[in-house]
Amino acid sequence: MVVVMKERASDTDVEAVIASLVEMGMDVHRSTGASRIVLGVVGGGKVDPRLIELMAGVHEVLRITQPYKLAGRTFKPDDTIITLGDVRIGGDEVIVIAGPCSAESEEQVHATAAAVKRAGAKILRGGAFKPRSSPYSFQGMGEAGLQLLQAGANAHDLKLVTEVMDASQIEVIGKYADIYQVGARNMQNFTLLRELGRTRKPILLKRGIAATMEEWLLSAEYILAGGNTDVILCERGIRTFETFTRNTLDLSAIPIIKELSHLPIFVDPSHGMGRRDKVAPMARAAVAAGADGLIIEVHNDPDHAMSDGAQSMFPSQFDRLMAELRIIAPAIGRSICLEPVARRGWAR
Amino acid sequence: MAAELNLEDLRDEIDKIDEVIVRLLDSRARCAYSVGRLKHELGRPIYEPAREAAVLAHVRQVNAALGGPLDSDAVARLYERIMDEARRIQRLEAERDAREKGKE
Repeated sequence: MVVVMKERASDTDVEAVIASLVEMGMDVHRSTGASRIVLGVVGGGKVDPRLIELMAGVHEVLRITQPYKLAGRTFKPDDTIITLGDVRIGGDEVIVIAGPCSAESEEQVHATAAAVKRAGAKILRGGAFKPRSSPYSFQGMGEAGLQLLQAGANAHDLKLVTEVMDASQIEVIGKYADIYQVGARNMQNFTLLRELGRTRKPILLKRGIAATMEEWLLSAEYILAGGNTDVILCERGIRTFETFTRNTLDLSAIPIIKELSHLPIFVDPSHGMGRRDKVAPMARAAVAAGADGLIIEVHNDPDHAMSDGAQSMFPSQFDRLMAELRIIAPAIGRSICLEPVARRGWAR
Repeated sequence: MAAELNLEDLRDEIDKIDEVIVRLLDSRARCAYSVGRLKHELGRPIYEPAREAAVLAHVRQVNAALGGPLDSDAVARLYERIMDEARRIQRLEAERDAREKGKE
């Protein structure tokens, strides 16, 4: 920590700051400059920077170390790679998760799963327990929906990710899903995060709609601290003053998270934009910016979807997007879906 | 060639001076350690700003009388560093004391 004193700080002010830091068990290195005094603070003691900032004569307090530890690059310099069967998340290959917002029927799940598999997705998404802004909106099919999703994923050799809204759902979802998703609204549900830290399945942790990168990484820290090292971060848009889109997709999170953390970072352009015609450009940008993966809403019949139809892509649009991503990824040394099933299908 | 020889000689001299400085710093640190023990027994705080100010004033005065290339502000900055280390010695000692008291 570095304490910068005000230009006109008195000797008494400086002395009081040094005295309290020494009392907290810190070593203080005082540097007297031409116009102001800077105190370098090191040591094992615990100091709340805000308390020092409130003291007379203090201009600002700069923290050097990060409050998160396990999620940080300092703790683990190498990228985390999560292996789920033959799917490697966080490696060179960009992994695409796709599927409907909610499981609605057997036919819908199967048709959508078949379509996303053909286009090159590796993981099926789909909700059975839906966190809706309104209690009167469709709330999801519950366990019946999980069964449909698992059957759809198995039939098309896809892994399955689905959202867990509450700790009471962990057990039942664990029977069907390969990855637990924590939604944006639950990013700071610390009791849920703590429970998920005890599980040993990967967690897809979405960024809260008003969360800073640091708060997001601290939420990941809750899961990591429980012993579950497989956390995937997912940017899905944040609240800004702009109302044209549902959220503002913060692509700057990709290079920033890559620097601060070793955890894989995914991007959800569907929720980020809220309109299907804007999903593809942002998906392309996310891959170009270095995202480890995407999660995209695709529906076999979006116009009749029970939730989020407007942001769900048609299978044909998703096919085209995947073809474009296959051209973009190699430009930055990545690959995407090494064996496009679609191409094999056409060859036959 | 002569200038090169001269450089070697001067560097030798600096090495010899450094030996003296480090020995003197060692004596100073031993003294500061004893001061720390006494402060602890007397229940006085490790950081005593008035004493540090007096040390700085003293070394500035000694330096001013020498009239060399090092100005008094520079000497004061060097001494801030030396006193930082003295405080650290006293803190580590106080912590060891507290730990041993904890064991008893």
